[in-house]
Amino acid sequence: MSKIQLKKDTTFIEEFLTNLDNEGPFSSWELFQMNYQAEATSMTPTFNGLRALDYLPHVDFLPHQIQTAKQAVEEMNGRAILADEVGLGKTIEAGLILKEYMIRGLVKKALILVPASLVSQWAKELNEKFYIPAIPYRKSYNWEQVDILISSIDTAKRSPHREQILDINYDFILIDEAHKLKNHKTKNYEFVRALKKKYCLLLTATPVQNRLIEIFNLVSILKPGHLGNYETFLEQYGKDRKNIKQDAYLKQLVQKVMIRNTRKGTELSNTSRNIETVWLDFTEEEKAFYQELDQLTGTFATFTKITLLREICSSREACFLSLKKMADNENANSEIFRSLMSKIEELPNHSKAEKVVEIIQRNSDEKVIIFTEYRATQLYLQWYLQQNNITSVPFRGGFKSGKKDWMKQLFKNHAQVLIATEAGGEGINLQFCNHLINYDLPWNPMRIEQRIGRIHRYGQEKDVHIYNMAIRETVEEHIMNLLYEKIKLFEQVIGNLDMILAELNITDIETELQTIFSESTSTGEAKIKLDNLSSIIKYTHDSTVSEEKQYGN
Amino acid sequence: MAIEHLHDFLQNYFTAHNCELVHNQDGILTVQLTEKMDRALMNRPFYWHYVKSTGFAGEPMKLTLITNPDRRDDKGEWIHFGSPRLQQLFAHLHDNEKFTKLFQKIDTTKKTALYPWLVINIKISYIGKQKRDEIISIGLHLVNGMMKTEMMEYLKTIPLQMTISDYCFTISPLIKVKSGFKRIEAVLENYIENQTYEWADESLKTLNEEIDLLKHFYSDRMDEENLDNKMEQELNEITNRYQPHVLFNVINGGIFYLTDDPTLTIQ
Repeated sequence: MSKIQLKKDTTFIEEFLTNLDNEGPFSSWELFQMNYQAEATSMTPTFNGLRALDYLPHVDFLPHQIQTAKQAVEEMNGRAILADEVGLGKTIEAGLILKEYMIRGLVKKALILVPASLVSQWAKELNEKFYIPAIPYRKSYNWEQVDILISSIDTAKRSPHREQILDINYDFILIDEAHKLKNHKTKNYEFVRALKKKYCLLLTATPVQNRLIEIFNLVSILKPGHLGNYETFLEQYGKDRKNIKQDAYLKQLVQKVMIRNTRKGTELSNTSRNIETVWLDFTEEEKAFYQELDQLTGTFATFTKITLLREICSSREACFLSLKKMADNENANSEIFRSLMSKIEELPNHSKAEKVVEIIQRNSDEKVIIFTEYRATQLYLQWYLQQNNITSVPFRGGFKSGKKDWMKQLFKNHAQVLIATEAGGEGINLQFCNHLINYDLPWNPMRIEQRIGRIHRYGQEKDVHIYNMAIRETVEEHIMNLLYEKIKLFEQVIGNLDMILAELNITDIETELQTIFSESTSTGEAKIKLDNLSSIIKYTHDSTVSEEKQYGN
Repeated sequence: MAIEHLHDFLQNYFTAHNCELVHNQDGILTVQLTEKMDRALMNRPFYWHYVKSTGFAGEPMKLTLITNPDRRDDKGEWIHFGSPRLQQLFAHLHDNEKFTKLFQKIDTTKKTALYPWLVINIKISYIGKQKRDEIISIGLHLVNGMMKTEMMEYLKTIPLQMTISDYCFTISPLIKVKSGFKRIEAVLENYIENQTYEWADESLKTLNEEIDLLKHFYSDRMDEENLDNKMEQELNEITNRYQPHVLFNVINGGIFYLTDDPTLTIQ
């Protein structure tokens, strides 16, 4: 008994004695009994199990989400790395865990640190789905006042917030996109280590990239010493992540603090992805213009040239705007630009837009989302769809969160099509839509993954249809054939790409591609280089997929 | 004694607060709130402030609650065990229904003595790695010191009211309420001491394991500043998280005047 502290209730009897002295007020038998019943209903009768499920009858949890929450609470005692693949519902798992602790009365004060662009989405999800009164941080708030605050880590780590936050004893800390904390020398890492916390969840889709020490750093936030100390860890495992598969003991240790669900292992794989490449040809007029553009810009920097060619494959407007900008800035070639501009003006509608209308009309009962890289194309498509009696709403990353929600609602309830630019890709969930058109293909395949992740994620009940538009005999054909089809990007690599690129030490594939084009003297040379790049990605993918299975669980 | 039928519970709750049930069918309940309940539940202090300052009576709202999940898309609020509305009603009960003094209702023409009982409903929480609650309802006869558990179950079976029935009289307590409460606490302490502590042992084991890991973690890092502070903080975190403890929390309590009943035997 001595090892267990007993905290008695000292206030009740004092209040009761005063109440008796004052002759009341007394409760009626009905209400007295009801208070007792209410307590008997809300108490937690067993150490194990998830009480939260009884409290959330309106949410359909997937089995792996419930399992993850149970494991994090019962086996990991509330300190865990949640490392599911993108789209399997890490937010849901985290919400369920937080709810469980709140119901059990173990968490009152919580701090949720997420990327700035996701703050309001987290707030919405926690409030609506979990009835957790989480509030986004505003300037007028004091960190002490609000029990459950959501903020970006950048705001939180800045003075004077930093000092206030570090003074607070948090019951629960959650960090989204925790792979950004992999380096222990950064300010962010140091800040997170310094937080006073009881329970702690780190969310990331890519827990291990190329250096094993990164996982050591993440684990040290949760459970310092679990993987030994810094020196011995380096000595034993070095910096190479390949060691993780060689060392069963290390793998086991990591599994004690990390849960990773993959698409393959969960029910989500039931809804499949149908991918269709839609090839089309330019009209004669367009073809003529494309060739002229190709020839006239022959003397320009390869990158400028490629940009213009990609733009004309998207819309006349996108290309026109770039030409205009160049004509205004560059005196030397302004004549060429102006002549090109006047030729663009003579072109009829864009072939690709016509094709898109065809696809949308074929699926006239379905919601469709179109992604384009260019704002000019977005505006043009909006106008063009309207001409064809198709309702659409625009979506951009720059919209304020209120406007984003509004557009999403409009799309859900009133419009058939949502036209999004690249920056709109992150942070909206559109599971009610299962048709996606990649109007132009980004160079960075990671973006494709994010785009698809908007609709093919937890909550999607139908098969997902993806249409990739590409125009024959243009730069799009190269990108499509060499980069996307060769590595079977859509079928296989998605989900692993992050890891593959890290393995190859490619931090930004977009820069990599730009370099290829700008350093190549001819299209032929660029083709060969592209081909090499996709070969190496494919090779790395094949050899890492088997390894992936070796860690996490 | 957990709530079995939420709909009945809500009906009783609003009836006990003198709210009229306007509509009550197929799992949908509409009640006309009183001013008091409107103020307690509807969260519109500015309205009431405004109305009162202009000298009008004000108009309490109607509240529609849906307990039938099949009808949850109807107009009204779907209420279930996790919904904020029910949590609000629970909190309202928790804050307001702590104390009582009640008399057994008897239909008699003979002089009848009523004996005072102190009834305490208490929630015991066992907190180690995880947490578990237990609710105990215990009664103490304030004249002869007899104790009974599951007191609420017994009280459910007899009629109770807030005033004393005709021809009845109360016996004065020999045990003071405060020392009665202490006796109950002592019994509960004894009850806890006689339990097994697997949960606490497990928690202590984890506590010690993690402290060892932590010490090892810091064993080679003498280069960093404030190292002792950081380690101290992390030691505290581990202790807060795993130190086993037991919490007493009184839900409510009261004095009950009851007739002499031979079935109330010593526990």
